[in-house]
Amino acid sequence: MSKLDHPVVTSATTPADQRTVLTQRRDSRFARVEPKGKRVYTARERAEMLVDEGSFVEMTPMRSAGAGAGSGVVSGWGTTDGHSVVVVSHDAAVASGAIGAVMAESIQKAQRFAIDKGYPIVYINDSGGARIHDGIFALHGCGGIFAHNIEAQSRIPQISLILGPCAGAAAYSPALTDWTIMVKEQGQMFLTGPDIVKAATGEDASAEDIGGWALHTKVSGVAHLAVDSEEDAFDATRLLLSFLPTHKGGAQKRHDSVPANPHAAAALPALVPEKSSIVFDMNKLLDGVLDNGARLELSPEHAPSILTLFARIDGHAVGVLANQPNARGGILDAKASVKAARFVEFCGRFDLPVLTFVDVPGFLPGTVEEGRGVITHGAKLLKAYVDTKSPKLTVVVRKSYGGAYIAMGSASLGADANWAWSNSEIAVMGPGGAVALLHRRALKEADDPTALRDELAAVYREEVARPYLAAEAGIVDDVILPEETRDRMVAALRMLTHGSGA
Amino acid sequence: MYLARAEIVSNVWKIVAREGDQVGAGDVLAVLESMKMEIPLVAQVGGHVSKILVELGQIVQEGDPIVEIDETASA
Repeated sequence: MSKLDHPVVTSATTPADQRTVLTQRRDSRFARVEPKGKRVYTARERAEMLVDEGSFVEMTPMRSAGAGAGSGVVSGWGTTDGHSVVVVSHDAAVASGAIGAVMAESIQKAQRFAIDKGYPIVYINDSGGARIHDGIFALHGCGGIFAHNIEAQSRIPQISLILGPCAGAAAYSPALTDWTIMVKEQGQMFLTGPDIVKAATGEDASAEDIGGWALHTKVSGVAHLAVDSEEDAFDATRLLLSFLPTHKGGAQKRHDSVPANPHAAAALPALVPEKSSIVFDMNKLLDGVLDNGARLELSPEHAPSILTLFARIDGHAVGVLANQPNARGGILDAKASVKAARFVEFCGRFDLPVLTFVDVPGFLPGTVEEGRGVITHGAKLLKAYVDTKSPKLTVVVRKSYGGAYIAMGSASLGADANWAWSNSEIAVMGPGGAVALLHRRALKEADDPTALRDELAAVYREEVARPYLAAEAGIVDDVILPEETRDRMVAALRMLTHGSGA
Repeated sequence: MYLARAEIVSNVWKIVAREGDQVGAGDVLAVLESMKMEIPLVAQVGGHVSKILVELGQIVQEGDPIVEIDETASA
């Protein structure tokens, strides 16, 4: 028997009382919970700082995992530069951000919303992983978050920020997202923390050793950017989002066209050393071609022989892939292949044009790279280019040999337009190696093998490797001068995007 | 002590620094040859070149130490 069966009205609840109750509830729910450790801001403050001022709207703010506690996560939406974005911010003030059943449900609700409505989602991670007390319910909830991460991959961009020690599920979810940004000396990602590592294997390692920014942005490649502060992490996220459509099939971001840096453009014809063995900085070449404006390089310190960055050309947001001769000679190796493939694959998923600048001596062979699985990882790059259906423009700026020629966005992998600079070389192998192989006996018998080798190499370079053969065969579309590169790319991109940028 | 290490499997093509030299961050210590590329080995720190650990023409693996620099001896 409930009270409703025999109602006894003592006094009507007045509207004023309800206002007071709501105010009290809000006050207690939104009270600033002092952050712990190196943290400066609360979960809600972080979400508010990420988005445009005053734009954050919290979803289910009263959701609670127990008396006096929130759900463990602040989720909601706002805008960055006027474009809507969904935000999920772990509340480390509630049980160290441990993911319990209710928190997992709240996160999945935000993920579902972002996927269905077509908005990017930013995860602000600061969590020790699954909440032990919740047992199977926590595991089931974490698995649900992963499943949503994976579903989202084909629908919306996902960005993860690591603002505290993130273990287990709080590290795995970022690995299922597109880009991960860590705050130095504050954010860590690991399967499990130092204490359990010590108990499990005996290894004595600090949190920074097993999951700090230096490990993940330089060695492992698990994270793609390291920044100095939470503010910098939010700025980087907003910059990253400025290049991306809000969802698969959404409008590409367009800005006004900005000319290339005039000094870099003027330096372009003489930038690349004639001698193909001499290194140079590919960034200077990109400066002479791309719009002189915002760029964001990802994984700058991991596998630096390949550059991956978002930039603009003719105001159109593009993904740029380029060999960097200044690092490891610009070779492709196992790590560089994984980095490059992941980047191209991302661009393909969200219809971003891919601009490829090629100066590659080849795939690095030998015991170390074969042991790292360079064949399998190199194959991923081939697949990424073929699978990518967004506009693909490729230019060979100096040399492109062997399998690496094919892998760097060649015509055979579906480049929509591709060019070679007039001084470039395209061949199965470089002149030195080719001559040694083709003329082994003659070189062995020669009085002056060095002179003969140089002579034969020069002949090979002119008769076999020059790009006119490729152009006459229609495999390279045209042979161009360095200073013509930007105009060619702009024209091709306008045509391939139907002049609309869509 | 700072060890300048080979960033790639290569052969030691030129040794630019000599034991006893004072070098600054960014100076080229040696040139390694790999994949027909001349790959400069650049000092990440300044200091006194205390030891050259390789010989010309020697094959080195990624991570092998090439030049030892005593940072404390930086002028």
